[in-house]
Amino acid sequence: MPGIDECLMEAMTLPGARGASLVDWNSGLALGTAGESPVGDHETTAAETAELARAAAEFDSFTVSAEGPGADGDEPPVEDLIVTTRAGYHVLRFVRTSFDSSVFLHLWLDRDTGNLALARLRLADIAERLVLG
Amino acid sequence: MLVRLAAEKATGALLRDHGTLYLVDGRVVHAESPAAPGMDVLLTTAGRIPREGWDEAVDRAGAHRAVGRFLVDSGRLGDGELEICHLGAVFDAAFFALSPASGPTRFRYGVGHWFGTVRPVSAEAVERETLRRRELLDAVWPYASVDTAPVVPRPAAPGQGLGARRRALLAAADGVRTPADLARLLGRPAFHTLLDVRRLAAAGLIETPLDAAPDATPTPPPPAFPPVPPVADPDIALLRRLRDALEAHL
Repeated sequence: MPGIDECLMEAMTLPGARGASLVDWNSGLALGTAGESPVGDHETTAAETAELARAAAEFDSFTVSAEGPGADGDEPPVEDLIVTTRAGYHVLRFVRTSFDSSVFLHLWLDRDTGNLALARLRLADIAERLVLG
Repeated sequence: MLVRLAAEKATGALLRDHGTLYLVDGRVVHAESPAAPGMDVLLTTAGRIPREGWDEAVDRAGAHRAVGRFLVDSGRLGDGELEICHLGAVFDAAFFALSPASGPTRFRYGVGHWFGTVRPVSAEAVERETLRRRELLDAVWPYASVDTAPVVPRPAAPGQGLGARRRALLAAADGVRTPADLARLLGRPAFHTLLDVRRLAAAGLIETPLDAAPDATPTPPPPAFPPVPPVADPDIALLRRLRDALEAHL
């Protein structure tokens, strides 16, 4: 069963991967990091991405409609968040845990060499294995 | 003191009024505080592990200081889950253990914790994170009195959004429970609950005790007020914050 570091290492093998981290969006704490940070400091990046993730995770516009019939109560209503910049992609994937937590995986990809569609699918898979083993 | 212990690669327990930090070779491996729900509360409240399962792990692996490992090896928890939950609990307890008002500090060499080592963190990282968390709370709403007072809800303004987590927190606030009680009841980290409580207070959705004085932490000078355009729909939450802040200064 993979732990945090194994999952981040696996994310870093994706084409164009520049940095990866596991972040708590409530507190802004980086629980694990790999590769580079866009600002040279993983803790700053964690605090900043946490603000973005928190807005998506809490605003009713994104969450209420996802809580309809068929939705699993444990499942975070928002699956992922994608930010495209001139130089890169940022994929934030919410991690489902069956105890109270608020964590997401953040993968930073190079715009030219990264494959957004592939990264999004693989990150979903990694997030699932991180907690299910 | 923590920095010195880290430098000498000490192993033992750092005891303070509001909690204890456990070090192995100068790195933080565990922390606990009466103010923060432990791993048992976090895991059993949500039903992730039944209470008997937790007790069994403590009975069978506590003496070897390998309870965390036992939970994984017996199939109760995945490695990733254990690390996420344990790191969350360690930083949560460390926040209270390292609080500035926490009285004298003692270090007992050689003392370990029965939970065992999961993912050691550098003492510097724990100290830095604790400071960052304190600043984050004050940046949201600089009244520490709401951290320990009973949480008393106030009616929301029409259209004021909350989010599911804070709705659940407000629903459990009966006017008697403190943030620490609510954290334990909901099986959430105590710091996360404090942060939500300060956000709710800033939005005017819970009472800030009236004798509250803002914390003595240095704050940046207030920005100049921009010209205010006439509004048809006043921001009720903002007006409440203003009123509370003015009343607090009376």
